[in-house]
Amino acid sequence: MQGGREPTQAEFHDAITSRADRWFSACLKITRNRAMAEDAVQEALLSAWAKRSQFHHDSRLDTWIHRIAVNAALQLIRKNRPASFEPLDFEIADDTDSQEDTHHAGDLERDLAKALTHLSDIERVCFVLKHLEQWRLKEIAEELDSNVGTVKQALFRGVRKLRKRMTTLQGV
Amino acid sequence: MNDDKLTLYYYKDGLTQGERLEVTNALVADAELAARYKTLSNELSQFEGAEIEAIPRDMMLRFHDTIDRAANMERGAAPQKSPPVHFWSFFWGAAITATLALGIGIGVWFSGDVDQAAGEPLIVDITPQSDVVPVVFQRSMQNYLRESQREITELPMDAEADRLILILRLIDQNRLFEKAAVQNNSPKLARVLRAFEPILVQLASDDIAPEDAEALRAQLAFELNVMLTKLTRDTSDGRQTNTERT
Repeated sequence: MQGGREPTQAEFHDAITSRADRWFSACLKITRNRAMAEDAVQEALLSAWAKRSQFHHDSRLDTWIHRIAVNAALQLIRKNRPASFEPLDFEIADDTDSQEDTHHAGDLERDLAKALTHLSDIERVCFVLKHLEQWRLKEIAEELDSNVGTVKQALFRGVRKLRKRMTTLQGV
Repeated sequence: MNDDKLTLYYYKDGLTQGERLEVTNALVADAELAARYKTLSNELSQFEGAEIEAIPRDMMLRFHDTIDRAANMERGAAPQKSPPVHFWSFFWGAAITATLALGIGIGVWFSGDVDQAAGEPLIVDITPQSDVVPVVFQRSMQNYLRESQREITELPMDAEADRLILILRLIDQNRLFEKAAVQNNSPKLARVLRAFEPILVQLASDDIAPEDAEALRAQLAFELNVMLTKLTRDTSDGRQTNTERT
């Protein structure tokens, strides 16, 4: 893409063709809901198109849209599940496997998507944004209208649960 | 040292430079801690290659369509380049003529005596009318006139693209109600509605002087109000079955 001009319709199509699956996957990991993930990508595309004159050509169009899509996904969760990001209760949630979980543990796929289902919204979002999207803790806190300490605690809880889950799965 | 601190060390985030140095030194000095960190790193790295879900073709098409629709909408909303001045000079004259004709037409229609108002009809043709006018149509027409009056009053005169979109929508609605009027035995009403269109087109022009636009807008709002008043009066008088009869 040349510098100094806004991205064209064709360039948007190219970005969709090559990266829409990544945008959707990131949004799906955040929302855990396919319809919401698709809505987030749709909103991101419309928003990116409307604001394309603000696109900085020292970055990549698909990366820019990716970030907008992740933000849209976060907004959708806050809108649809407003309690998700209320101040955290620092009590560690009971992450012991339920009998049903244990019973079906052998059936679970050993992938991140499955493991992430055992995290609360705030834990999952903090983990996805930190680990997969590589946001800074400060950025996450700002995006969630929270503080770095709260985000750290959510991340620690998420990591602990995920590690435990993976150990359990590997042990079955 | 707990695993939370090691987690932050792994992410290279959330620790001060001094804290990072402290962890580094501890890892060098403590083999057990180093082993714990290795385990933590290995486990976290399992999540690095999180799978990317291939999206279905129909979803991919919807994403492409989103951009096409946004681009098309933008093109549709863009104000037209100003046509040559001579065209608008001609059109301005036509619009004034249409406005005058509309005013006379509404006046004649409002007087309720078209046949005898003049030796020859102006814009209101004399058409035999024998069927009744459905009350549903009259109610819809009232709503349309009321809504159009409000939209014209609130027309954004300082935003050309928005004004153009609103006027195009008004023209579309006007045409629909004009057809409905014909189908509901109200040809005079249809003609009055038809006479609105050139004025609306003129109002959409991007080179119209603000005072001229304001005058046209005020006149349209007034004429709509006159029509609305007549329709409302006829309906409340129970004359909805023969509005166009004089």
